[in-house]
Amino acid sequence: MSTRRRRASGRVAYPDAHGTLRERTVQALADDTLRGNLETAAASWGESRDAMRDRARDIRRRNIRELPALLSEMQAKVREAGGTVVRAQDGAEAARYITGLARARGVTVVAKSKSMATEEIKLNESLTDAGIEVVETDLGEWILQLAGERPSHIIAPAVHLNRGQVAALFREEAGTDDVPDDREGLVAHARVRLREKFAQAGMGVSGVNLGVASTGTVCIVENEGNARLVTSQPRIHVAVMGMERVVADWDEAAHILQVLPMAAIGQDAANYVNLITGPRREGEADGPEEFHLVIVDGGRGALRGTEFEEALSCIRCGACLYSCPMWKSVGGQAYGSPYSGPIGAVITPLLEGPASPASRDLPFMSSLCGACGEACPVGIPLQDLLVRARARASSPATRRSAVAFRAWSRLWRRPTTYRACMAGWRLMLRARGKGGWVTRLPGPGAGWTQVRDMPSHWPPRP
Amino acid sequence: MTDPLVGELVASLARRKASAQVVPAAEAARAAARAMADAGVARAVLADDPLVGDIGLPDALRREGIEALLWPTALSRREMLGLEGPEDSCGVTVPRMAVAERGTAVLGASPGHGRGIDVTNRHHVALLPAGRIVRTLAEALARTFADGHPVPSAVSLVSGPSRSSDIEKISTLGAHGALSEHVVIIT
Repeated sequence: MSTRRRRASGRVAYPDAHGTLRERTVQALADDTLRGNLETAAASWGESRDAMRDRARDIRRRNIRELPALLSEMQAKVREAGGTVVRAQDGAEAARYITGLARARGVTVVAKSKSMATEEIKLNESLTDAGIEVVETDLGEWILQLAGERPSHIIAPAVHLNRGQVAALFREEAGTDDVPDDREGLVAHARVRLREKFAQAGMGVSGVNLGVASTGTVCIVENEGNARLVTSQPRIHVAVMGMERVVADWDEAAHILQVLPMAAIGQDAANYVNLITGPRREGEADGPEEFHLVIVDGGRGALRGTEFEEALSCIRCGACLYSCPMWKSVGGQAYGSPYSGPIGAVITPLLEGPASPASRDLPFMSSLCGACGEACPVGIPLQDLLVRARARASSPATRRSAVAFRAWSRLWRRPTTYRACMAGWRLMLRARGKGGWVTRLPGPGAGWTQVRDMPSHWPPRP
Repeated sequence: MTDPLVGELVASLARRKASAQVVPAAEAARAAARAMADAGVARAVLADDPLVGDIGLPDALRREGIEALLWPTALSRREMLGLEGPEDSCGVTVPRMAVAERGTAVLGASPGHGRGIDVTNRHHVALLPAGRIVRTLAEALARTFADGHPVPSAVSLVSGPSRSSDIEKISTLGAHGALSEHVVIIT
């Protein structure tokens, strides 16, 4: 055993039982080769991720600073390629344009690929109200559409449903019990059902992950292939883009397209990236005859130059959601907005305005632990933005609590009053405790004991 | 003789759940046709690229009993989508480039190369001359969208077969696009 662990130099590779920790540390520090190797290894793991983030942050900050110029360039290039560009001030205007277009072209079925922006502009409601059938073709989104629910995660919308529930939804939709129960079978079933829709659809609607100004190209990133079908089968393609999602050129785009799948799904590539520049060209046998790019402001433009400008750097990867203890506990639906998690808690109030209920509540959906800022691949200081959003949410109610906090702070700043508080607290806990635990507290403590018990003595009695 | 980029691409494709083989030009058509026959393919939709004829793929397919249709085909939209006619179809593409470090084929739309060839069919075979492999995505995009060249109406970056993790978070192949991807690297 021990001979196998020895290297040619005679040094011990795992000095488990030799000497004290201090001796082993001193020995390791004296080994220059070892230190060099460790530094190289650390650099290849840790720093490259940091370097990627720094570059992504610099790119996105610059994009936002130069946004008006980038958008005019984007607009000009898309038009040059034969596409139509529409700038919508708000969601209602964008939805009106797309619904009007569908009506004017006699479209009866619209096939959609997953898009947060179309959720934001409430496109499905608008099209449905006009008597047009809307089909979500991303598998998870389709399942939710059949279930009549909202997505619970940017990347994995139907994580909360199991296979049996999905099979039941498919049986109901198909009007037959002839639907398999296994995962492969369910995916194959959905493939055929949705292809029927692709065959009928007169319009495809997609979101945009990234617009590239230098060529007027929209990038749509996906894994299933439905976005390609949406953008190649129907006669009309409408792409809906939040106005901040534009980069200057392909050098910047290449970097962001690399960072995005790593942050979103932990892989170096998404399965399909569709780079679309205008409608099909002369002589081409597939692809849409019409291409419309709808650029939505929806409150974004007003954030430039404010203390929230950095939120516009977001590339919608969902990494902050996965990192957030709050999101992991309640899921996305509780946020009541297409954008959930830390980024949703910051931008929803900003996009909906100070009068919306989201403005008062959402910034407080956080423990301010900072995990989101750490996870963000474009270096948005989410925890700082959350604090600023809380300050902005200040209302008569929060001002009243500010008075209470000042009084509390005064009490606890002096050792004598602090000790008096603690003595009173201990007496109260003991009085209310049963079998060593307090299960119900009065007043402000009620919220605390609703979901947990508190020991009545310290240390807790067995 | 062996290009390190070829080895890197083959390894990346395997990671992306695609398969690959490296063959000389004289054997490329037979290898591609064999792979399709093994997958049970009944009909192939071929990109109209000079390479397809140069290696003699249509003849090799006929010898395997596979129907070969050159793009653009006369198929209806329902036939293209596999809702009518043979289900086991294969799209044959000729990538402009491939990215070694991430196993990505770069497909450019043109009159001879429909943008949906790889996703509408059940299987996807890409014919890739080894000289078209670059290492990074940045290189591929810089070349594809270089100043002075006409920008293609659609460029598709394809990294392995279609998949979805939307049911119980487990990756399942063949969600909307191709169930399998096979890259024939031609030296």
